Amino acid sequence: MKMYQHNPDNCTACTACVSQCPVTAVTRKFRGPKMVGPALERLRLSQEDAEPSLEYCSNCKNCDMACPSGVPISTLNMLARAKSFKNRKHSLGEELLAHGEKMAKLAVNLPGGAFFANMGMHIGSGLGLMRMVGITGQRSLPAYAAESFLSQFKKLRQQIFPDKVVFYPGCFINYNDPQVGMDFVAVMQANRYEVIVEEEFVCCGSPMVVTGYLAEAEQHAEKNSELIKKWREKSVPVITCCTSCGLMLKQEYQELYDIEGLAENAKNLYDACEFLLLLADKGKLNTQFAALEEKVIYHAPCHLRAQGFGLPALDLLEFIPGLTVENADAGCCGLSGNYGFKADKYDISMDIGERLFARIKGSGTATAVSDCGTCRLQIAHGAGVAAVHPVTLLRQAYQR
Amino acid sequence: MRESDVIVIGSGFAGLIAAAAADKRGKKVTVLSKGVGTLTIGGGTIDLLGYGNDGRPLANPAAGLAAIEPAHPYKKIGSPAIYAAIKFFLAICESAGYPYLGRLEEMKWIPTAAGTLKPTCLVPKTMDTTCLKSAHTVYAAGFQGLKDYYPHLVAKNLSKLPGYDKNYEIVMVNPHFTDGRDVSALDVARWLDTGTGRKECIRQLVKKVKAGAVILMPPVLGTSPDYQVLEEMETALDCRLVETVAIPPSVTGFRLRSMMLNYLKTAGVRIIEQVSVARAIMEKGKCLGVVTQNIDRERTYYAKNFILANGGFYGGGLRAEPGQAIEPIFNLPVEAPAKQEEWGNRQLFSPEKQSFAKIGITVDNKMRPLAPNGSIAIENIFIAGRNLRGYDFCFEKSGNGVALASGYQAAMSV
Repeated sequence: MKMYQHNPDNCTACTACVSQCPVTAVTRKFRGPKMVGPALERLRLSQEDAEPSLEYCSNCKNCDMACPSGVPISTLNMLARAKSFKNRKHSLGEELLAHGEKMAKLAVNLPGGAFFANMGMHIGSGLGLMRMVGITGQRSLPAYAAESFLSQFKKLRQQIFPDKVVFYPGCFINYNDPQVGMDFVAVMQANRYEVIVEEEFVCCGSPMVVTGYLAEAEQHAEKNSELIKKWREKSVPVITCCTSCGLMLKQEYQELYDIEGLAENAKNLYDACEFLLLLADKGKLNTQFAALEEKVIYHAPCHLRAQGFGLPALDLLEFIPGLTVENADAGCCGLSGNYGFKADKYDISMDIGERLFARIKGSGTATAVSDCGTCRLQIAHGAGVAAVHPVTLLRQAYQR
Repeated sequence: MRESDVIVIGSGFAGLIAAAAADKRGKKVTVLSKGVGTLTIGGGTIDLLGYGNDGRPLANPAAGLAAIEPAHPYKKIGSPAIYAAIKFFLAICESAGYPYLGRLEEMKWIPTAAGTLKPTCLVPKTMDTTCLKSAHTVYAAGFQGLKDYYPHLVAKNLSKLPGYDKNYEIVMVNPHFTDGRDVSALDVARWLDTGTGRKECIRQLVKKVKAGAVILMPPVLGTSPDYQVLEEMETALDCRLVETVAIPPSVTGFRLRSMMLNYLKTAGVRIIEQVSVARAIMEKGKCLGVVTQNIDRERTYYAKNFILANGGFYGGGLRAEPGQAIEPIFNLPVEAPAKQEEWGNRQLFSPEKQSFAKIGITVDNKMRPLAPNGSIAIENIFIAGRNLRGYDFCFEKSGNGVALASGYQAAMSV
């Protein structure tokens, strides 16, 4: 049984979601979450109905967070979006953006592949090829790391501890930002945990769901769920450092798919910072942090806020002496996974992020901190400030 | 184990005020929030008490309070705390650079989008109607495409009311919106947030309005809790601007919520969004913690005291079941007529208060929930806002007022 029945009639049309939707705030092309979500869903239940402005929903989940009646508005949108592809084809750009994992595998499995792929993307961008397929040329696609997380991890010699956790790296950390994964492993080692990486894990499916590849994402959900179940049965927690992967594995699988054991699996899935904070609650967090005399600004990803356990990174970073953390509290960054990479969404994405960029620039800090990989990309692009995952700061403080 | 001094359940106006007041007292406060509350729907005004039990308008809220019935939350809270709550709120507004106007001894009648007048007590400066008294010409301004706001209607209906016998002229502003979406007041306010929007609006208006006049407009003067848009436009047009109360999404409510959230976050109050509190962990008649039920798993939040401000039937703080009303988290006693057919009278716009509206939790003067025998049901729980028994906010126009006074009183009691 799916956890939610997606009843649009729970919507009282109060407009709370409209007031909080970051896309509605910057463009009139989107008819807004209330209209496109529950209001039109009532019509879609009786007849097929294609709403062109549906493509403007970024699935950031601010509508769900605003709703006093618990309507999963963004998920109604994603279901409708997938349906809309019954009668039309995906563009090449959508095909590419939905399948980052496939692309990355192609790139890194060739000798020197990451280098040539990055160069290729650069040239492709320069020649306007990206724009031709509907991908913006105004920002670079995230570059591939010279060596994937998995490859680096395999070479690492960990200390063996009886306590173990499984790490779900996700595509972005694995192929683009492996240092976050390595930092996570180091932090867990400092807390006397051995980290297991399940090589069979596949992309969580988030980029596919937002691009309408619902059935394909379901195959990923089945595969990942089977593996998460295996570790759940051994009572080994599964941890993500990527908030969008975490949200997909815990929540969106349950909202979208009818796969056995999802609810039980979700109980065994943890966000990295939440897990560490739970250790602190039990008095088990290694608090031997050296001082980091630094001021940083924290940006809370929407997909973290949507998970309903607050902002654990803020509490966790308080353990580091000398570190001053300011909460940007400036709403959505605007990138929303692959949304801001689409040529026709780039401006919207940047307009949404403007509040955050201004806030970061105005703070005079050289480092931003955010749990989400694409938020970090957007901050670097829009605010011109280096952005790191909270575990990176923790690792630094352990190592000094 | 993390433990707060106070956990506030609910982030509507009652919850936000309770959190602010508890923080002011030096307490470590955590707010557990689900949805954005009704602040972005309501008009952003603080209605204290507009009508008496007979449905007649009161001379002023203070006069109404003097005659309030014993079961009403205001009677429990008492006048000194109500005055203190108002003072506390006005100080927050002042420090935020978004001062509100008003006092208990004065009823403010403010114009609505239907051209009627609504009684209230505390309002943002954008709703100050004193300039209307001496005005000869009043421009009723509208915005092309703005849904459910017709300046003709505003002018026509207002002109029939005492004190509003003015020379009305209709002026329309074209914000040049494209695409097919409905235009809401929030859209117009966001347009006026931008320098180009303000400039264009001023350019269109300045040709049509005479200096020294009053311009009545929908609530669109910017989304930030400040008066930059108001001041810039008043200076440029040499006119006074007055915002009316209009339908959701409410810009003035949006500003009020932003102001409160900014205040709390700056103060260091932790706000945890998107949580449903499912049950409480009790020991010896005291609550130790509350358990949230999310889609992944349960989490427990511990505190010394709890303020329950999760919004009555609408917010899910109370639940109606066949033959009874329940409070689902602490299972507190809820007073409701035993016969369900007596929960409402058949006239929706009845000249009496609706009994379903008065259903709620009975409290003592510290906002502690009472059992039917009058004893305190749970000693470290305090109730604020719509969960309280004994008032019909819609009938008497007291919604944000009860939220303010009870949120403040609950925070003073923890």
